[in-house]
Amino acid sequence: MRNAVLGFIAIIAVSLAVSARGQNAQQRQGQRTAPQGQAQGGAPSPQSEQGRLPARLSGEFTPLAKPDIANGPVPRMPDGHPDLSGPWVGGGSNSDIEKDGGLKPGELPLLPWAKQLRESRKEEDEPYLYCTPMSVPRVNPYPWRFVQSVTANGLGTIYVIHENGDAGGVRKIFMDGRKHPPADELLPTWWGHSIGRWEGDTLVIDTVGYNDKFWFDSRGTPHTTQLHTIERWTRTNFGTMINEFTLDDPGALEHPVQLKFTAHAQPPGSELMEFICTENNQYGVAADIPNIYREKGYGLEVQPPTQK
Amino acid sequence: MKTTVGILAAAFALFGLAAPSAAHHSFAVEYDKEKPVQGTGVISKVEWTNPHMRVYIDCTDEKGVVTTWNLELGSPNSVIRRGWKPSDLKQGAKISFKGFGGRKVLTRAAADVLTLADGRSFAGASGAPDGTPEQYGVGAGVPIP
Repeated sequence: MRNAVLGFIAIIAVSLAVSARGQNAQQRQGQRTAPQGQAQGGAPSPQSEQGRLPARLSGEFTPLAKPDIANGPVPRMPDGHPDLSGPWVGGGSNSDIEKDGGLKPGELPLLPWAKQLRESRKEEDEPYLYCTPMSVPRVNPYPWRFVQSVTANGLGTIYVIHENGDAGGVRKIFMDGRKHPPADELLPTWWGHSIGRWEGDTLVIDTVGYNDKFWFDSRGTPHTTQLHTIERWTRTNFGTMINEFTLDDPGALEHPVQLKFTAHAQPPGSELMEFICTENNQYGVAADIPNIYREKGYGLEVQPPTQK
Repeated sequence: MKTTVGILAAAFALFGLAAPSAAHHSFAVEYDKEKPVQGTGVISKVEWTNPHMRVYIDCTDEKGVVTTWNLELGSPNSVIRRGWKPSDLKQGAKISFKGFGGRKVLTRAAADVLTLADGRSFAGASGAPDGTPEQYGVGAGVPIP
């Protein structure tokens, strides 16, 4: 444990040092290649802009690696595994998991009660808006990292750090070969219990033990505590990482479903910044939106039939 | 000044390679695109805070009545990544704004463009086709008819 902690601290320290060194390079690079970058247009945005107000000053902005860097080779760790540290933007669901994950409208096999719940939910009531963790496979416009720790015993825990969206809970992916605890010993949590392994160059993450308090998207797609996810992360070049995502929830879905998301790398030298979501959250005041969770907390508004 | 412009230029040039997207939440939930607002006044407070930074602007009309506008921007991180510096927004400085009013509280608005007295304009230079200056007039912080 102590080694794991030390390893983690070492990784963070190295990241900070690399970041500090890369900052100037990034600015120089931006100036030198600006016209070219402009002409090449935008990288795919993980978030849909449809139906939203113009996202300018009031929107978010996270630079991505430009194509000549993004098309470069996959960087590797000293042990030969791909370096998945990023920072990344995207790679999950945001506005609508069905659409974001590559399905056609209506293809997500939600059970009738879950479909009904999704339709009854209002975007303005997203728990995430009150600074709760976004959980899996949600992404937002901010960057995030896999932090691959190494300890005296070899590969250590992989930590997932989001600039915004962790809400104080750092996701841990145990790489030491352990199994999930028995279901009756698992306290459902926002990030669940994740175990990982390498299959060639693909990081496979199996997670159970989620709570039912987060939404997959702003559309309000629900799940239950029976949620089981399998992520298969493959970095295909410097700038691209694919998330082949298996979504399984016998409580909310008729059958497991396969989704696909793509994360994009930030320019070399980029680093996460501090983000304390609850610092000054005035969400809802401008439109007089009530906080429906203040009295009853977060969680399913409707219990699924099987759990009645 | 020169440095600022350079960094801003770099930031705007990078815009095409960025992942611009809706912020912490969908603005349509809180703000009304049918309620464009604008004004000129003095910065009374700047909050470089999460999840969104806020700029408070006191606008005085011809009768001397002061209205304080609470303008919501993106996260401080996002604003800094665009090339802004904390020193670019100073309490007491003259500033013009354009934005979209809150659905219920008009003076709580989503900022779209901020223009400083020295002419530097934030956000408008991104080249985004929306919110052209023609849509706005100049005034003391009033809804645009």
